[in-house]
Amino acid sequence: MAAQNPTIVTPDLPDDSGVYVAPPVIAIKAVQDVLDVCRAMSLWPMTFGLACCAIEMMATSMARFDISRFGAEVFRPSPRQSDLLIVAGTVTKKVAPAVVRLYQQMPAPRFVLALGNCAISGGPFKFENQYGIVEGVDELIPVDVYVPGCPPRPEALLEGLFQIQEKMTGRRWWPQPQGTEE
Amino acid sequence: MIETLFEPLPVLCLGKCDPARTGLAWSVFLEAGHLRQATEILYRARYCLEDITAIDAEEGYLGVYHFDHMDQPGRVALRVLAAHDAARLPSIADIFQGAEWHERETTDFYGIVFDGNPNPVPLLLMPEMTVHPLQKEPGARAKLADVLAVGEIVRREPGFDLIPPQAAAGSGSTEA
Amino acid sequence: MRYEEMGLTEGDFYSRNFEKGARDDTLILNLGPQHPATHGVLRIIVEMDGEYVIRAEPVIGYLHRMHEKMAEGRQIYQYIPNMGRVDYGHALGWNWALVGAVERLAGFEVPERAEYIRVITTELNRITSHLLWWGAFTLDLGAITPIMYAFDDREQLLDILQIATGSRLTHSSLRIGGVCADINDRFIEACKAFIPHFRARLPMYRDLVTGNIILRKRLEGVGVFDADLLRRYGASGPVVRGSGIAYDIRKAEKLSVYDRFDWSVAVRSEGDSMARYLVRMDEMEQSLNIVEQALDSLPAGKVMMPKAPKVTWAVPKGESYFAFEGARGKVGIHLVSDGGKNPYKIKLRSPCFSNLSLFAEAAQGTLLADALAILGSLDLVIPEIDR
Repeated sequence: MAAQNPTIVTPDLPDDSGVYVAPPVIAIKAVQDVLDVCRAMSLWPMTFGLACCAIEMMATSMARFDISRFGAEVFRPSPRQSDLLIVAGTVTKKVAPAVVRLYQQMPAPRFVLALGNCAISGGPFKFENQYGIVEGVDELIPVDVYVPGCPPRPEALLEGLFQIQEKMTGRRWWPQPQGTEE
Repeated sequence: MIETLFEPLPVLCLGKCDPARTGLAWSVFLEAGHLRQATEILYRARYCLEDITAIDAEEGYLGVYHFDHMDQPGRVALRVLAAHDAARLPSIADIFQGAEWHERETTDFYGIVFDGNPNPVPLLLMPEMTVHPLQKEPGARAKLADVLAVGEIVRREPGFDLIPPQAAAGSGSTEA
Repeated sequence: MRYEEMGLTEGDFYSRNFEKGARDDTLILNLGPQHPATHGVLRIIVEMDGEYVIRAEPVIGYLHRMHEKMAEGRQIYQYIPNMGRVDYGHALGWNWALVGAVERLAGFEVPERAEYIRVITTELNRITSHLLWWGAFTLDLGAITPIMYAFDDREQLLDILQIATGSRLTHSSLRIGGVCADINDRFIEACKAFIPHFRARLPMYRDLVTGNIILRKRLEGVGVFDADLLRRYGASGPVVRGSGIAYDIRKAEKLSVYDRFDWSVAVRSEGDSMARYLVRMDEMEQSLNIVEQALDSLPAGKVMMPKAPKVTWAVPKGESYFAFEGARGKVGIHLVSDGGKNPYKIKLRSPCFSNLSLFAEAAQGTLLADALAILGSLDLVIPEIDR
């Protein structure tokens, strides 16, 4: 079963100390499993839309693709109230300290979903001698699930959400799309 | 219209361009010292500022100011040359306040300093950056005569040699 | 005097660079770069007296993706997808500006059918852009319902656009000399079915939202722009058409085949945020008219010019400027070429850049809530500002 391991996350910012994630108070596995399922079915994403992928993230939360069916309806603007950081768009070097600070402000257990090619590896803006972007948000913060595309379809974002839920609880809860069963 | 507006102004070269081929109606080369006067004439004639940019060419940095009119469309390009080693131009941000941001962006990309800009800090780039990204390698620069649309010359100072007279007789771009 | 000169060492470069005002009892508030209003990564440093904004200074560059530098490192055909990412709202508008600049410089003529397809897809894209703006703007003001309806219509349109352009969002379907592919009957039928459906929705939007007393009190009289302010900052698009200036590049420069259709430029004279709101709602109706007429009179023919440039074609020497009426204003591409493999320089003239630069002057003395209403009425897309 996947459970958040307590790790020391040392940021690159000059003015912050390391962040220590404490182990759970009740260490009974059955209780933790139930809590994991509850968390997975009610993830609160943070509205961190940077660029074009943000529009597909908005479309996912609207009536047609309806991310609320899977629990992640409550998009919170504040990192202190959210547990899933969806990095949707290109991370530039100018905004990188803000991204790290937002990640640090999220209380554990927290998860990061890199949405779109820019957040995975810099995307179309990675070229020789580029001076402005961070080539992938995993250079700054640990990423749990990568959703490729430019921009990825809302169905891809939903699949990424299912992967996060699988990572949290150890199994997939929703049917596989037709044709992708292994 | 620009011809009459700029009559009292000592322009270096005033050319009437073909909007269907170049998008410009007028192309005006100026000395840096007359830029503000030209801008005030355009402001009083109710032109609006479209953008300010620069072209890094062999002869120097050519500051290009595009203006257009909302009632009688006809784009004017003011062109002012600044030397590579002393790239300074006067700021027009007190006449057209929108120029403040355009000038800051041009400074970011080309390193041209605009004297009199109210807030001359980096606009788009990180403040820690020391490189100006759109500057070209000295060997990769082109001659202005090759790349610019100058149009049919209407007025010209005798000493103006950026555009040789025979190349300026066309209405815009030369053949590939 | 800037705060840095007063000895402040905390904060970052821009907060230290902020000019201290005359008073000592004001609050310096940082809006962004991450905030719930879905404009993107925009940061505004405001100096406030209670709820009133004394001074606002936008700080941009948090999404600078080096488009102009990429232009010098890519061949012109490779640059078309970049245009979809500059403004994802009205991607086809930027596509058109780029291919228009190249066609103008090289003297290419686009076949008629391709012009019609360009007009149809671009106007449908304009409607999706305005729907996105409408939903996000009302969401900023606190109304959570309209965005649901807006995205419902928008999803139908995105499906239609996907048939013609291949993508939902960052379209790159225009080519130098035409469009990438012809439209088929499925597209035409879907469009023709959508038009009456959307026409029936617009009265509902008017009743539900536009006539709503809360919206009207929030927007009427807020952020009045006069013509001089707009000229000094180079504003364009619905921002100037909301202040009585009927400036629309499609009519002013007689672009493409727009003069063959019977449509009018949406203009309002009050100059406040409500006027800009109503201009965009009217523009959606006008775009629908244009699409309907274009579909009815669609000519047969090819969709690419004869002897179209190959993918490795280089732009001939010279300079051209092409302006197009994007959903947000005047999109300009200034193309300079020395005949080499890559363009010598492409300057992207972004309408939101000029529109946002007037925010500092327009927001002085307003309530913070009104300042955000003004910001929403400018219809900003930050990647276009930062390029």
